[in-house]
Amino acid sequence: MDLIRDCLDKQLLDRNGHKMGRVDGLIMELTGDGEQPRVTFVEVGAVTQATRLHPRLGRLVAALARRWGRAESDPYRIPWARVVPTGDDVTVGLLAEETPALAWERWLRAHVIGRIPGA
Amino acid sequence: MKKIFEMALGIVTSIGGFLEIGSITTAAQAGALFGFQLTWAILLGGLCVIFLVEQSGRLAAVSRRTIPDAIRERFGFDYYALLLVVLALVILLVLGAELGGVCVALEFVTGVGYRWWAVPVAFVMWLIIWKGTFSVIEQGVSALGLVTLCFIAGAWALHPHWPAVAAGALPTLPTHDRARYWFIAVSILGASITPYLMFFYSSGAVEDKWDESYLGVNRIIAAGGMSFGTFISVAVLVIAGVVFLPRGIQVEHYSQLALLLTDVFGRWGFRLVAASLGIACLGAALEITLEIAYMIAQGFGWNWSKNQRPKDEARYSLTYTVVVILGALLVTTGVDPLKLTIFSMALTAATLPVAIVPFLLLMNDEHYVGEHGNGWLSNAVVLLIIGLAFVLALVTIPLEIVGGS
Amino acid sequence: MSVVSQEVHVELLLNRRVYALNGRAVGRLEEIQAELRAGECFVTEYHVGAYALVERLAAWPVGRELLRLFGATRRGVGYRVPWDKLDLRDPTRPRLRCEVGELAPLEEEG
Repeated sequence: MDLIRDCLDKQLLDRNGHKMGRVDGLIMELTGDGEQPRVTFVEVGAVTQATRLHPRLGRLVAALARRWGRAESDPYRIPWARVVPTGDDVTVGLLAEETPALAWERWLRAHVIGRIPGA
Repeated sequence: MKKIFEMALGIVTSIGGFLEIGSITTAAQAGALFGFQLTWAILLGGLCVIFLVEQSGRLAAVSRRTIPDAIRERFGFDYYALLLVVLALVILLVLGAELGGVCVALEFVTGVGYRWWAVPVAFVMWLIIWKGTFSVIEQGVSALGLVTLCFIAGAWALHPHWPAVAAGALPTLPTHDRARYWFIAVSILGASITPYLMFFYSSGAVEDKWDESYLGVNRIIAAGGMSFGTFISVAVLVIAGVVFLPRGIQVEHYSQLALLLTDVFGRWGFRLVAASLGIACLGAALEITLEIAYMIAQGFGWNWSKNQRPKDEARYSLTYTVVVILGALLVTTGVDPLKLTIFSMALTAATLPVAIVPFLLLMNDEHYVGEHGNGWLSNAVVLLIIGLAFVLALVTIPLEIVGGS
Repeated sequence: MSVVSQEVHVELLLNRRVYALNGRAVGRLEEIQAELRAGECFVTEYHVGAYALVERLAAWPVGRELLRLFGATRRGVGYRVPWDKLDLRDPTRPRLRCEVGELAPLEEEG
């Protein structure tokens, strides 16, 4: 499997097929000499995205996330054990609604969009 | 059977959705200043659009992805971010121009200044998106958009010297106002070859769940709809050439657009122009708003189907709401709608490569288009467009200064 | 003896210049191959693409693809670096742990 072609930037789907963002980052763990590196997490979030553009931008977004109390959910890490790359997208054995990936979606639904008639 | 119906629908949608303030304005200015000489620019733009739209549909049908989806996946977040920033800025300006067009049409009919209409029109547009589904919006507005066929009727009724019109189909050099000539040619191309048209088409194909079996339908819709739409633009140019040029009316102010069909249809001509302008621009504004929101939602991996309830796609709903507000703000600032239109068209042409270059690469990547990749002709056309766009990018700013306003 | 564990962001490795033992640039990291074993994802190879000319353009995937399209470089020119032959202690400067000559070439994809 090619990590960059088949995994990075692919659409994340929860176990019901709902969209929950994209694979913004992948964490690889190197455990000293002699051990084969493993991919341990899929990372999702604005901090990860911003850091890809420029490390300073990443730090800025991280600071904003802390200010808005989102530091624990951004970036959001999904353990590799829960993840199934299918080549087309990446399926996660979780329910999107229960994950921090949709934190903003839920907040907006409750406080803004959901309050407008006809939503 | 279903496919034939969809084909007819697709063509009608493309015709009704083709004309907008950019194509109307640039065609009218071209006709008013240079008679039928710039017909070739409109035809060239139309031909390029046919190729690009067909490829957009093909990419979506085979890869089941929209263009922004595919660009992020293939080229990474970095490039997608660049694309988003550049295109979103340009498209917002175009949105301002289209909303301005609707407001101008309302000013024609009511006499109330266009700036006052910005907020009500934006609100109505927002309501349509909020409550409507993709098909209702696309088909409803496009069906109404068929009123733009009145321009073809008008051009016919004016009995232009058809051989002269045909002669305009071949590129010729201008005898006067050279900078202006080329600037309008650039703007005509920028008005027709728009990334948002391609992206929106691919979003629609994915919404309608197209697959490989739709490739033939796709070709017919692209060719049929876009050609017909192109002819409507040519009709506007012809009318302007017959009505404005002899009188020396240069389309410098948007109010002059109202005079396009008064010679031929009298009072009704005035109403038809207002209706055409208003509906065509509303359709375009809706498409643009939806497409900016799609581009963002698709690139970030949010839920984005237009067939879901707003609260099931809160981020997407927020995005298009913000976009509508920004568009309305742009119009209320009182920027001259005509100037904004011409400027945004030229800017669109200049920033084309950012979207078209990765698009070309995708159309040749079998991971996305399988065995339906571009043949040499399709590639050649796209390369030509890219080359053209680079030239446009280089000359746009100087031309804007010298030949624009 | 404690084992030092290090976390590396894969997405930040992409397009980084890879350096040989003698400090010269070999190419850019284009792809990372991995295999799934026992429910875990193990990195097997790093693909380093080598583009002598227009190297700056090749830093972007768009640029690399354009170069390939125009035949400026055969698709797949580069090296396969086994997982134990790349030193990632400084993720901003990946370094080879062996001679370039020891590396298998990237084959042309069909």
